Amino acid sequence: MIASYIINVTFKKTRYTGDAFIIRPKAETMKLKDINIAIIRIEGTNCEQESYDAFKRLGANPEFVHLKQLLHIDCIADETREILDYHCLMIPGGFSAGDYIRAGAIFAARIKSQLQRQLVEFVKQDRPILGVCNGFQVLIELGLLPGFDEIIHPIPDACLYLNDSNRFECRPTLLKHENRGTCVFTAKIQKNEIRLIPSAHAEGKLLFPLEKQEQYLNKLEKHDQIVFRYVDPEGNYAGYPWNPNGSPMNVAGICNPQGTVFGMMPHPERTYYRHQHSDWTGTQLGQNIGDGRAIFESVLAYLSKKF
Amino acid sequence: MQLDSLFKKIREDIETYEVDLHAASDKDLLEISNRMELALALPEMKRIKEYFGKQGRNPTDIELQALGQAWSEHCCYKSSKVPLKKYVFNVDEKRIIAREDAGVMGFDKDHYYCVALESHNHPSAIEPYGGAATGVGGIVRDVLCMGAQPIAYIDPLFFGPLDYPLEKLPKGVKHPVYLFKGVVDGIRDYGNRIGIPTLAGQVYFHEGYTGNCLVNVGCIGIMKKSELVHSWAKASGNMYIYVGGKTGRDGIHGVNFASAELTDESEESSRSAVQVGDPITKEPVIHACLECNRKGLLEGLKDFGGGGLSCVSGELAYSANMGAEIHLDNVPLKEEGLKPWETWVSESQERMMMLVAPENVETVLHICKQWDVPAAVVGKVIKEQIIRVFFKGLKILEMDLEFMTGGPVYDECMRPVVIKKREIVEKDLPQPDLNIALQTIVSSPNIASKEWVIRQYDHEVRGNTVIKPLQGKLGLETHGDSTVLKPLEESWRGLAVTADVNSRFVERDPYWGAMSAVDEACRNLIAVGAVPDCLLDCLNFGNPEKPERMGEFYEACRGLGDIGRALDLPYVSGNVSFYNESLKTAVPPTPEIFAVGIVDDIRNCTTSDFKTEGSPIYLVGKQTEQELGGSEYYHMMKIEGGVVPKTNPEILKHCMKGLLACMKKQYIAACHDLSEGGLGACLAEMAIGGDLGATVNLLALGNNLRTDMKMFSESNTRWVVEVQKEKQTEFENQLKKEGASFILLGKTKGHHLIIKEGTKTVVDLKVSILRECWHKPIWEFMG
Repeated sequence: MIASYIINVTFKKTRYTGDAFIIRPKAETMKLKDINIAIIRIEGTNCEQESYDAFKRLGANPEFVHLKQLLHIDCIADETREILDYHCLMIPGGFSAGDYIRAGAIFAARIKSQLQRQLVEFVKQDRPILGVCNGFQVLIELGLLPGFDEIIHPIPDACLYLNDSNRFECRPTLLKHENRGTCVFTAKIQKNEIRLIPSAHAEGKLLFPLEKQEQYLNKLEKHDQIVFRYVDPEGNYAGYPWNPNGSPMNVAGICNPQGTVFGMMPHPERTYYRHQHSDWTGTQLGQNIGDGRAIFESVLAYLSKKF
Repeated sequence: MQLDSLFKKIREDIETYEVDLHAASDKDLLEISNRMELALALPEMKRIKEYFGKQGRNPTDIELQALGQAWSEHCCYKSSKVPLKKYVFNVDEKRIIAREDAGVMGFDKDHYYCVALESHNHPSAIEPYGGAATGVGGIVRDVLCMGAQPIAYIDPLFFGPLDYPLEKLPKGVKHPVYLFKGVVDGIRDYGNRIGIPTLAGQVYFHEGYTGNCLVNVGCIGIMKKSELVHSWAKASGNMYIYVGGKTGRDGIHGVNFASAELTDESEESSRSAVQVGDPITKEPVIHACLECNRKGLLEGLKDFGGGGLSCVSGELAYSANMGAEIHLDNVPLKEEGLKPWETWVSESQERMMMLVAPENVETVLHICKQWDVPAAVVGKVIKEQIIRVFFKGLKILEMDLEFMTGGPVYDECMRPVVIKKREIVEKDLPQPDLNIALQTIVSSPNIASKEWVIRQYDHEVRGNTVIKPLQGKLGLETHGDSTVLKPLEESWRGLAVTADVNSRFVERDPYWGAMSAVDEACRNLIAVGAVPDCLLDCLNFGNPEKPERMGEFYEACRGLGDIGRALDLPYVSGNVSFYNESLKTAVPPTPEIFAVGIVDDIRNCTTSDFKTEGSPIYLVGKQTEQELGGSEYYHMMKIEGGVVPKTNPEILKHCMKGLLACMKKQYIAACHDLSEGGLGACLAEMAIGGDLGATVNLLALGNNLRTDMKMFSESNTRWVVEVQKEKQTEFENQLKKEGASFILLGKTKGHHLIIKEGTKTVVDLKVSILRECWHKPIWEFMG
């Protein structure tokens, strides 16, 4: 199912200028404060505070939820939670369980062992899931992304592999928005617009089984699942360092065919405000709206209409 | 064999021995100290013998080990206490809220910030990855144990030259490239994993660090005022709850190892003194401790540092004039078969000790369980000032805490001090081609881009980093002076941090060198628009038993004290690391300064990159003088002598005030301090980050200096400032009003950096060429 969401295209920003274009939220049906978002964490999750803040600042109701609360382990009475208590799930960045084996694999395995059925139900109801950085790695390991043909694949179809540089890369990255309207997390961003959303990861190269790589990339393109691609300040698909990990086709973020499950390596919560941009002293703060904020605004707008 | 007869097992099933000090000769005493790796000197052993003589019994091995820990240089500062008290501790103390494992200062009306700085030098020289990682892991606990949420790391690093010839490397010494890579990997893998941003710090290369690299680690945290928790017991009956990683044989005798020189056998003999870090145990420990603290469940909190369980349980009680009873059976262990004394002194990582009222114990244990953090009640606080340890029902340690923690203190009589007089020679040197000189200077590893390091650290996690360590146009960034954090959601107030020292100055003149480090730290804070608020010192020196090293230490402390007092800046926390020596060479004396500044409103912060074409450029501050002793330029020209930069705190104060006022009024577009490489390097870095050239004239610097001296002098208290075009008059008036001197140098222009002396062009270089020279060198070494 494709989200029935129309974007008002008013102007395109095809070169990075540093001024984000924002559409103000329209009349909404569900109150923002009633939108429950679970920020799911385990040991080694560490971008939860800024992710929580992003939703909170927009008036929604985020909550830190330890995976053990969903698995009902070591909980006393009022500590247990259910996935379906929430309208939206977010798996934030970090190094879940240390990422000592493939990044995100342990977190995904713990979720899958008990919560798979509920997760499928969650996605079936068009409730959105966001994975940023390590969260993206978890969504891939879970088989929720790329999500070809079925909601959750028993075996991952892709992986986020070591950066070509073989190093952790913390640097500003520019993302070109290429989604044609499927992804509910970027509805407020114009197609072809370029945004500054920084990266910080060691394993961000999106790889598919070698023999299927081309076919899969075409499939992503065809089903409008490519959301962001890395570009240079001129808007060109550039190599390192603008593409910090060597992802084929410069892919930085993808969604499932429904547009409700979305994963990206760069961190939108780190440019929620303009003053978090790495080059803000060279320009004006203006209304202090950062380039990453639209991701959170988009999904909240989607939710308030949907539920 | 003879010695064996002095050791007697106390019970068949317990690996604890009574040591017959009573029967031991002086020679035996020393041999006992060596055999047990206590690192105690004969007078100290005799004092122990005397104490137990009065008790009418012999000590057990665990008692001797406890004393070996407590009386080590590392734990009791026996050599440094006297000079520190005399010079450093007494500066502007009234603003300090607490000075325990970390220093606590006021941030705003509802918050404190908390800072700590220490060294992890010896472990890092032996095992760079593990040494650096556990350094970072240790310092975060110091901040945590005050109840603060850690929000950033700052890690100054010192290595030998990256091009050090392999064949010249002494036996047992690892190559600087290997050490540098290992240390950065260790900090990266630990810091990134626990989700605390590392804002770089300082990376410095000098021949003197070849045999003994320095790894200093700093951390800053923030807390509500109500969340401050102390490292002492509140009442007898408080329960000791051990939280975090399990105890193993890693890190045994770490403090003793840190209190001796490195030798070519350290690799073999001391490998087990380096602990093993585990960030994924630590990360939930931070959550658990902060949650317990926020819920008001903690009476006291302290981290396990040097000396392990022995120090932490003793000090928590002793600071409150109380005592403790600890049961070793309850300590969570990594492996079976640890001897009781090993459990008692192990420095295994990721451990915290909570003090909890009996009624809250269950709640605390539940919170720990939810975070999957091992936790166990291991003892309780008692009224008498005595520490007792039990194992399998038997008392195996009982000492007066006064005796155990009241280690020896050495003054000038016991640690002789010689202050070396140095002759200053100013040699003639031919003036080189300045185009080439500037390119060489900016490609010197001490000035060149540290991007290779900075981008491997996640310096943005938590989303608070508003002025980044690399500043300027996207993809073309240059070095900033300080990094600024905006720690609170609801406030524009910021914390600026910087770490500085130029050990080439300090080795030539410890007094002025130490002053220069503080001057530079202040300059760096001012450059982003922060008011210097406090200082931390990590004093890395050689062997204190050598009078000349002690002389350097005294002089550096005197310098720190003088400038701190003049500026009203307290030293809120710090650390002394002696014995940084190997193979008969000591490291250059290195009083690393970590300075914290407060930014009223981060929206007024400034960065170092040139912003707009056609803006006026000024040199603000002290007169430029021929102060090139220890400068990058003299180093390049292979000149040994020269005058080390002096500083005048009065001038510094006026300049700081003037510049801050201008920043508040937004007259300033860019600001960068002059340090290594002087004016030339400063202008180059500003042009590199802004991708914007400049044309400046040095004639106005006057003072009969030669052009190369004007370009590369490292005189203190100077900044280059790009002023908003339309605010030029207001800027000048403001500085005049505050009594700060300035010189108009020229303006930003085009794609070249052009430096003139009168009508003569001495430098004309494309900004892109300068960037290439500056950007490449460290990448080329490190790949």
